[in-house]
Amino acid sequence: MSETSVRARTPRKPKRNQLPIGLLVLALTIAVGVLLAVYKSGELATAWVFGMCFGFILQKSRFCFTASMRDPCITGSTSVTKAVLMAFAITTIGFTAIKYAAFASGQEIPGQSYVMPVSLATAAGGILFGIGMVIAGGCASGTLMRVGEGFGMQMLSLLFFVIGSLWGAKDMGWWNLNVIAGAPRVFLPDVFGWFGAVVIQLLIIACLYVAADLWERKKMGITE
Amino acid sequence: MKQFFDKISKNRYYAMVFKNPFTYVTGAVLLSLFQIALFAYSGNPWGVSGAFANWGAWIYRLFGGNVDKWYYFSSSGAQQTLDAGVLNNSGSLMNFGIAAGALLAALLASQFKFKKIKSVKQVVAAVLGGLLMGYGARLAGGCNIGALFSSIASLSLSGWVFALFLLVGAFIGSKLLAKFFL
Amino acid sequence: MAEFELDCLGEACPVPLMKTEKKMAGLKSGDTLIVHIDHSCAMKNVPEWARKQGHNVEVEEVGDGEWDVIIEKC
Repeated sequence: MSETSVRARTPRKPKRNQLPIGLLVLALTIAVGVLLAVYKSGELATAWVFGMCFGFILQKSRFCFTASMRDPCITGSTSVTKAVLMAFAITTIGFTAIKYAAFASGQEIPGQSYVMPVSLATAAGGILFGIGMVIAGGCASGTLMRVGEGFGMQMLSLLFFVIGSLWGAKDMGWWNLNVIAGAPRVFLPDVFGWFGAVVIQLLIIACLYVAADLWERKKMGITE
Repeated sequence: MKQFFDKISKNRYYAMVFKNPFTYVTGAVLLSLFQIALFAYSGNPWGVSGAFANWGAWIYRLFGGNVDKWYYFSSSGAQQTLDAGVLNNSGSLMNFGIAAGALLAALLASQFKFKKIKSVKQVVAAVLGGLLMGYGARLAGGCNIGALFSSIASLSLSGWVFALFLLVGAFIGSKLLAKFFL
Repeated sequence: MAEFELDCLGEACPVPLMKTEKKMAGLKSGDTLIVHIDHSCAMKNVPEWARKQGHNVEVEEVGDGEWDVIIEKC
């Protein structure tokens, strides 16, 4: 009955407090920021700072877009999926506010380059990226985050992400000529009006949220 | 000195912000706020994979290659970016920042550990996965951030189409994972 | 009341979770599984999965960036 528990047997490794190293790294990153601001530009320094904020938040929350799509397929869990949907909803509101403000005051709407053409390349790219991110154990942001966390595998993945990007860039001439040229860039407010587009998008997100919840309940057998 | 650092680590508020993980919801809210802030500040939303293509071009140049005749790099903007170099590229600096921020977060929580590659399976997965992501991101015009997160937030239909096919790909990837990489 | 161990050190996402799920299926009620992980995602998604399945879970940090997830099958 009293078999020695594994827990009592496992030697506890001496935990080192990494705070001193952490503070050193913090000081270095601040130094990099200052150097960028002084010798390059405020814009570049800000990019560095934003990157750090994103990386910090991603790591602390273990936020992973890969998990949002993969977990429903393997365990049925949709907690990350729901969080991603929340992020979509919040940013939709924030981005639209900014875009509409520009539009209403007659200025050029910012960020429209992110309204991309919809073509077979979008679909093909989605499938390839989806397979890749699940196999590699992280998406674009997730890979960078894990490089920072010390994962050798993701460092390798990043290298080949870069190589794959170059390869893709090389082939874009062909893709653009044969698949993407002429494909429409659909900005939803052009179709549904500003208010309509936001309402429809938020409604879709809400429906997906409920669907994700139901999916998890079904797949994981949660009955309460 | 050691006691000083240990004392900080055990502080309640330090634990809340730096030691304990955030919930996914907290992460979603914070990421969204910073996304919106970035858009407001720079006029462009967050993007990650665009810089990777530039990194590829710069590395290629180091090996004597030349991308100047490629359609992808043919615009004057792209040429300027390449000529200016990596330290003048905001997308690159942001990506370096992501890795640095994650490193910092792990260290401040005393949870950093270097994890070596364990098996050939992991090598194959990393190489194959990386190539697929890199190529796929160029085709779609971006990755999970630029073509998904930022595009959907920008009310672009492309974001939703990409999302649908990402899901298809993730499903296929999950099956492959279970079969070959477990 | 058997105790089992699962070494998932160095595994990539979501391998710890998938291996845990597989192993737990073979356990009897009352058995305990100790999963050794060093992946920050796994220290969240493995306990979350186990709790949703109704098991008792404890997470112990056993080293810098290393955790033991102790799951008691209900």
